[in-house]
Amino acid sequence: MISRNLTNRYVIAKIFHGFCFTVAWSGVLILGVLLFHVTQEGIQWLDLQFLSDFPSRFPAKAGIHSALIGTLWLISLTALFSVPIGIGAGLYLEEFTKKNRIRQFVDLNISNLAGVPSIVYGMLGLVIFVRWFELNQSVLAGSLTMSLLILPVIIISTREALRAVPNTIRQAAFALGATRWQTIYAHVLPAAFPGILTGIILALSRAIGETAPLIMIGALTYVAFVPDGPMDDFTALPIQIFNWASRPQQQFHELAAAGILVLLIVLLLMNSIAVFIRHRLEKKSR
Amino acid sequence: MNANQLANVLSKKKKEVEDKIVLQAHNLNISYDNELAVKDVSIDIPEHSITAIIGPSGCGKSTLLRSFNRMNDFILGAGLEGKVLYRGIDLYGKDVDPVEVRRKIGMVFQKPNPFPKSIFDNIAWGPLINGYPKKGIYELVEKSLQAAALWGEVKDRLKSSAMALSGGQQQRLCIARALAMDPEIILMDEPCSALDPVSTAHIEDLMFELKQDYTLVIVTHNMQQASRVSNFTAFFESGYLVEFGETQNIFTLPKNKRTEDYVSGRFG
Repeated sequence: MISRNLTNRYVIAKIFHGFCFTVAWSGVLILGVLLFHVTQEGIQWLDLQFLSDFPSRFPAKAGIHSALIGTLWLISLTALFSVPIGIGAGLYLEEFTKKNRIRQFVDLNISNLAGVPSIVYGMLGLVIFVRWFELNQSVLAGSLTMSLLILPVIIISTREALRAVPNTIRQAAFALGATRWQTIYAHVLPAAFPGILTGIILALSRAIGETAPLIMIGALTYVAFVPDGPMDDFTALPIQIFNWASRPQQQFHELAAAGILVLLIVLLLMNSIAVFIRHRLEKKSR
Repeated sequence: MNANQLANVLSKKKKEVEDKIVLQAHNLNISYDNELAVKDVSIDIPEHSITAIIGPSGCGKSTLLRSFNRMNDFILGAGLEGKVLYRGIDLYGKDVDPVEVRRKIGMVFQKPNPFPKSIFDNIAWGPLINGYPKKGIYELVEKSLQAAALWGEVKDRLKSSAMALSGGQQQRLCIARALAMDPEIILMDEPCSALDPVSTAHIEDLMFELKQDYTLVIVTHNMQQASRVSNFTAFFESGYLVEFGETQNIFTLPKNKRTEDYVSGRFG
């Protein structure tokens, strides 16, 4: 009686195991198909000339230089604005405030902000940064808009990472006559840093692929120069890809595929740098 | 000896006794969200001794212990009435800085909680942030580890991570870390409950050593431990201090029936 019951339970366990396996690998499979398709289409265009040429009406002469540099500008500036503000806000909410109504209100709003569609941020950026601050379609306006977009994500992941730091560490530090800031700076932040870094990379990865808010604030689609400073006009990889993909000629579709490859490589590079830093930090603290 | 002299001697005696009291609670009430956890407790803790606080789970003994160095400040909804006096100073007075309090009154926790850093940094951090000169820090680390009977085991690997030590070693490291601050009192919240008997014996030996220079207050669930190491024992039940006295008396001649039931294992 008991043994039959056990067999049944094993069957159920196996079925669930199989289900999880399928779900997990289907994600990988989809990525694989995507990569294969894009590579097949775009690989023949992917060379140094493609990276160093500006866009052109003629597919053979078209390159992605301005979009690539524009994206690098955009992401660097976005990181510069959003990382310190995001970590600071997360620290404040998690370590410095008491749980009360006001904090609950702020919590709720930040969670909601994380779910707001990106085009809404585009409109906000258009009104505030482009019009009010008269930044025009500059890379500065773009990165400020992107910062607004990803701030909730950074704040939320910072808080998750801080919450994962065991309270016993804080107590140990306080019991040694440490102030709150000394405790946070010496023990809580280093312990939470790998988690915070993961959140930052995820957020920046989202920013690098966003198109809608940039189009909304009026980033140009045809740019034959590279921004020299934060006040210059710019274009970005997803805009360029969108632009090429919307043209009728097959060759431009192939260029779009090559652009996607460049975008994916940039993403991959960013992720591997984060993994590398994380690995080193975790080794050090062990 | 006339009456005057006698009175003199008596008041002197009284003063001597008072001098030896390092920590006092006066009609102390501590509540969590308006629910009393410690009820009208008054207790005098003498210096250079080990005072054990015993009692069933939830009787408020850890709460009382944490109130002695203001670690309750971090618990939401915790309220306190009455007084906690350290050498006559009200620890909850207006101009008392809790950070200062915790410098003088150290704490060792139930679960060993070393920082995920090197053994050396674990000890050195507290003194350094409190302004201890960098020059003498190595000597202080060595002295503290020796006082915690850990030096011999770790002297060749001060730079390696504290997380690699065994549980018992980690707890002694935490004691060494508290000692490095040169506190007057060390509070220990069930310091051996996560350790095996051998490590427990190590820590108990250490407590005997430490009471020469420090005052120890320990919370323990272990009756034998209380009777083995402590000079004084306080028995708590549902927030009240039921009985307080010399350990020997509490365990052999308890005045209160409930104390007797508890220490003899006839509880409940």
